[in-house]
Amino acid sequence: MKKIYFLSFCFLILLKVGYSQQTTVQTISVNFQQATIEQFVTELEAKTGYHFYYEPAKFDSLKITVQLDNKSMETVLDAAFKNTAFHYAISTNHEVFLTKGREIQLSLAAGFFGIKTGAETQKNNVVTQVKEFADTKDKVVPEATTENKLYEIGTKTNTIGAGNATLSGYVRDGKSGEAVVGASIYVTNTKTGVASDQFGYFTLSLPKGRQILSVRGLGMRDTRRQIVLYSDGKMIIEMKEQVTSLKEVKISAEKVANVRNVQLGVNRLDIKSIKQVPTVFGEADVLRVVLTLPGVQSVGEATTGFNVRGGSADQNLILMNDATIYNPSHFFGFFSSFNPDIVKDIELYKSSIPEKFGGRLSSVLDVTNREGNKKKFTGSAGIGLITSRLNVEGPIFKDRTSFSFGGRTTYSDWLLKLLPEAYKHSQASFYDLNLDISHQIDDKNNIYVSTYLSKDKFKLNSDTSYGYSNRNANIKWKHNFNDKLFSVIGAGIDRYQYNIASFDNPVNAYKLNFDINQTNFKADFTYYLNRKNTVNFGLSSIFYKLHPGNYQPNNPKSLVAPDVIPTQRALESALYVGDKYDFTEDFSVSGGVRYSLYSFLGPQTVYNYAPNLPKTSSNLLDSTNYSSGKFIKTYSGPEIRLSGRYQLGDNTSLKGGYNTLRQYIHLLSNTTAIAPTDVWQLSDPNIKPQYGDQVSLGIYRNLKSNTIETSVEVYYKRLRDYLDYRSGANLVLNHHIENDVLATQGKAYGIEFLIKKTTGKANGWISYTYSRTFLRQTDPNEGELINSGLYYPANFDKPHDFNFIGNYRFSHRFSISLNVTYSTGRPITLPVAKYEYGGSERVYYSDRNQYRIPDYFRSDFSMNIEGNHKVHQLTHNSFTIGVYNLTGRQNAYSTYFTEQSGVISGYKLSIFAKPIPFINYNIRF
Amino acid sequence: MNKRGNYMVFLALLTAIVACRKPYTPKAILAPGSYLVVEGVINSGADSTIITLSKTINIATKDSSAFETNAQVTVENEGGTSYPLQEFKAGHYLAIALNLDKTKKYRLHIKTAGSNEYASDYVAVKPTPPIDSITYRITDKGLQVNVNTHNPANSTRYYRWAYEEAWQFHAQRNSESIVKGTDIVPRKPEEQIYYCFAGDKSSNIVLGSTEKLQQDIISQIPITIISPRSEKLQIKYSILLKQYAVTKEEYQFWENIKKNTEQLGSIFDAQPSQLKGNIHGITNPAEPVIGYIGVTNTQTKRIFITNNRFPDNYYPVYADECEVISAFFINALTGANDVDFFIFRLGYIPVSPIISPRGVTIGYKAAPIECVDCRLRGHIDAPDFWEL
Repeated sequence: MKKIYFLSFCFLILLKVGYSQQTTVQTISVNFQQATIEQFVTELEAKTGYHFYYEPAKFDSLKITVQLDNKSMETVLDAAFKNTAFHYAISTNHEVFLTKGREIQLSLAAGFFGIKTGAETQKNNVVTQVKEFADTKDKVVPEATTENKLYEIGTKTNTIGAGNATLSGYVRDGKSGEAVVGASIYVTNTKTGVASDQFGYFTLSLPKGRQILSVRGLGMRDTRRQIVLYSDGKMIIEMKEQVTSLKEVKISAEKVANVRNVQLGVNRLDIKSIKQVPTVFGEADVLRVVLTLPGVQSVGEATTGFNVRGGSADQNLILMNDATIYNPSHFFGFFSSFNPDIVKDIELYKSSIPEKFGGRLSSVLDVTNREGNKKKFTGSAGIGLITSRLNVEGPIFKDRTSFSFGGRTTYSDWLLKLLPEAYKHSQASFYDLNLDISHQIDDKNNIYVSTYLSKDKFKLNSDTSYGYSNRNANIKWKHNFNDKLFSVIGAGIDRYQYNIASFDNPVNAYKLNFDINQTNFKADFTYYLNRKNTVNFGLSSIFYKLHPGNYQPNNPKSLVAPDVIPTQRALESALYVGDKYDFTEDFSVSGGVRYSLYSFLGPQTVYNYAPNLPKTSSNLLDSTNYSSGKFIKTYSGPEIRLSGRYQLGDNTSLKGGYNTLRQYIHLLSNTTAIAPTDVWQLSDPNIKPQYGDQVSLGIYRNLKSNTIETSVEVYYKRLRDYLDYRSGANLVLNHHIENDVLATQGKAYGIEFLIKKTTGKANGWISYTYSRTFLRQTDPNEGELINSGLYYPANFDKPHDFNFIGNYRFSHRFSISLNVTYSTGRPITLPVAKYEYGGSERVYYSDRNQYRIPDYFRSDFSMNIEGNHKVHQLTHNSFTIGVYNLTGRQNAYSTYFTEQSGVISGYKLSIFAKPIPFINYNIRF
Repeated sequence: MNKRGNYMVFLALLTAIVACRKPYTPKAILAPGSYLVVEGVINSGADSTIITLSKTINIATKDSSAFETNAQVTVENEGGTSYPLQEFKAGHYLAIALNLDKTKKYRLHIKTAGSNEYASDYVAVKPTPPIDSITYRITDKGLQVNVNTHNPANSTRYYRWAYEEAWQFHAQRNSESIVKGTDIVPRKPEEQIYYCFAGDKSSNIVLGSTEKLQQDIISQIPITIISPRSEKLQIKYSILLKQYAVTKEEYQFWENIKKNTEQLGSIFDAQPSQLKGNIHGITNPAEPVIGYIGVTNTQTKRIFITNNRFPDNYYPVYADECEVISAFFINALTGANDVDFFIFRLGYIPVSPIISPRGVTIGYKAAPIECVDCRLRGHIDAPDFWEL
């Protein structure tokens, strides 16, 4: 309020200066006896036409007694306020400002703000087009570091023209120089805003003149910047890190983002909130936290596979700094592939998948790593029960180039030693390494290099050894053509491989190798057409080379026949364009089309089957050989991405969306979890790509000044050509994989509720999802009808899913977290009858997935204890102590029936069936 | 492919420290009906063909299988010739030495007492090559019995084995005395109850395939592993191995049964799959029928292994160690007649007389019947095939 007064003062004062010559003297007669200020002012205003401005509260003690005839206003006021603390000032517009204590100086130098004001420069409604030019070469981009300074943007002109100008800029962390991704820049006057992109850049169109930008970022202190915008221009905003000893849960970059974004079904989490959630071995785990979000369900306990809105685990595109991670788990799924010290934040798209992503049906999980500190060397280390990790980052060239390195390894052999004798001599280990480099060439060009290597190895006491590895490298070049057009052009290679080897029996010794390689190129452009339109367009291309299986003897004596499934090659390309258009302030639509084109390439031998008959070996007609580079089969089609938002008041919005997706690569696994040795398969003439579409609707509302976010989303989804398996399918080293798979149709629907409190001593979220997923196989030409062609629940159909994540901060050094999870048990196929066969009692199974395992419930608890907070010490320490599965509930991982000594008994297998305590020690330096 | 299998077992054990396995009995699950189960092999050679017919029963009930009696069972060839089988005991149907024409295809035709008709698909005769050898290996886990076979024509590729075991063993204590009426007299050799013979049939499914090998050679495929603590290895052990050549489809059928009931229960367990046999209802084609009927000649081989081949740590351990008591005619403390009490009233078996320094029988060592009578677990008479 004061500020507004102050501003009005300033403005009026300037006007007075300009009009001073024209003032004429008016006289009045007054007679006040013990009059209040109100009576005084009312009478004067009535008699003179002057207007008075004052704060009544400050004048309540004043009683005026004055009697004068035909005197000027000044004389009257002098007499009235004589010997009091009150002062007055009169403007040329016959406005009187009354103040207490301080006198208003009307004689400020003209051009105090560099603006010459006066009648001769006042261009009443006449807009002169001042030639604007961006003289960026010799103009230093202002680094806006403080809140109270007024920054001038653009080429300074005497007057501020009408219309909009484009402000573009960069948000960075003042301490490390790192970009702040997803910071929201919100213009208070126009109620518009944008978020900084993955490199910290933003562009925003706003009316010229004085503006206040409200800036908020994940883990950063909220701040404001005052600007005067003259013309298109740039600025750098430095933000300060939020210095809280205890990490807060912050889900959304912007407190109002969930309401204002056009997208729906998007969750963003930063590493601080991820680190708060208790995990089984005490190490923060990105994927475990993803599992607590509405609409996301776990495949099972000892696996990091997840199902999003009724999609299978392979329908999630998992990206780490734009590299595709095919196996996101380590050590039998107890750990996820992402080093928590390297990760900055994650974003999960469940519904509105941006046009630039494609190739998977259910979701995109975009994991972004931190950029290295550009100013000084820092690092952190953590010691847990099974793993240790180290992270070092720092400048290579100060303020321009930085690196970030992270590594993790296991020392789990002590754990294996605790196993029964038969498995004591087993080995299991993993490590992963991240190295990211970012370099700023100039303020228009940046280069980012990102590499990742992970390796898992385990050997059973038996003779078989297993290994798998993710290898990724990519380079990105970000270029700003001008303030409106940005581009990111990148290329990379991604590889996933596994091998199995057996040595024991020389006659049967073998090794089996599998790998998938993809070389990708993409170019993404963003064009800020004007204030209402933001256009995204680009193209991407992936070349796949997949070796589905190479089986070789592992010993000269081995009789194993080499068996090599021919290499599969394919090219998947896409072109996309999308536009975010604001019809009105309240109604925005984001629409896009992605045209994807997939070709299965030669050289290859393709088997031909009799038309309209099941693809089985008995219906095999012949085969066709295709030469190298030949386009054997091409699938293509448009994908639609549409979402809209309608604002219902400041805190509420309604959103809807429709999207279609295509997936050309399939994971073959007839187990319920993802095993590292599952096989990927490219679509070919006999295996069609999967297709899915989804319509969703959501309502979002923020309560209590945006500290509580609530949302409800509903969706309905259809799937086509999703692969299920024939009974007794063999998926390893199968030359005719089409003989063992079935194309099914699916449908999924659900409703998701989320309540989230983002700030305060107590924070966290509660989510509840009701969802169903069904599949069916109705085409007798495909082969056997599962459950007579009726819909049956998919393996991951869990109708009820409830999650609670709560944190409470007792002091800056001590906080506790509680995590509660409940879900319906997953469907299983149970035996319904028994009979004698092969010398034993056997069981006859029900139709597929007609029963369920018992419901799942788990609660975890953890405490964070921080060391002292002295700023100047060598290292900062913290402990995390907790208990996983607090109640020790024996959740069924699976149930099964097995024959032992001729009797059939049912068993329930539980993992983590007891409370598991953990401790983790972290160091920051 | 058992590769994943190993991985899974390992995983289950890795989590053993924190994992647990509990019995699980879901609420009453009812099958929609009772289905016919057909088991057996049409023996194309000189051996007899035995087909067993039974019905599935509800999983929740404690009964064992219900046999399907009074059915008309015939083997038929495509030309229409049929060979009837006779029911020789409830649900078991037999035909002796069919000696079928190996160029024709055969099927099994069933008409139940309830007039429902079923038939298997016509299947060609697939000859079984002879068993080359049965070998064994001493391992930590016990005695591992392996099979070796081959087909130079490389045409068999899929094998199934079943076996019958027989073994000689002895009771924990040798009773030298026997109660006759009111007397205790020395036991004659023909009255001995110390050495016995026992036998068993295989209860697990043993399959082998050379599909991935260059030659059709089965080398050292394990058939069974006998625990070093088993009574089977106490004196002499014998195994009769039956080898069947199976088609790929039949192999898959058996593999499915095996997977569904023997291999489930690890972390990455495969979905149980629906069984697809080659027997179909004629009266009601939609009715599920369990079973797969193949046509082959069975090859058999028997070996004997005596205990002098086994290491010292191969000896049986019993759940209850025997307690041998000393029963006197006159108990020195109580004056009671313990011989009368323990042997004649409680039914203890006298083991050996207790003779005083003067040469007078003053009592008997005695033991419970489980300790001394091997007939509780076997038969005194050696089977016909036993080699001495």
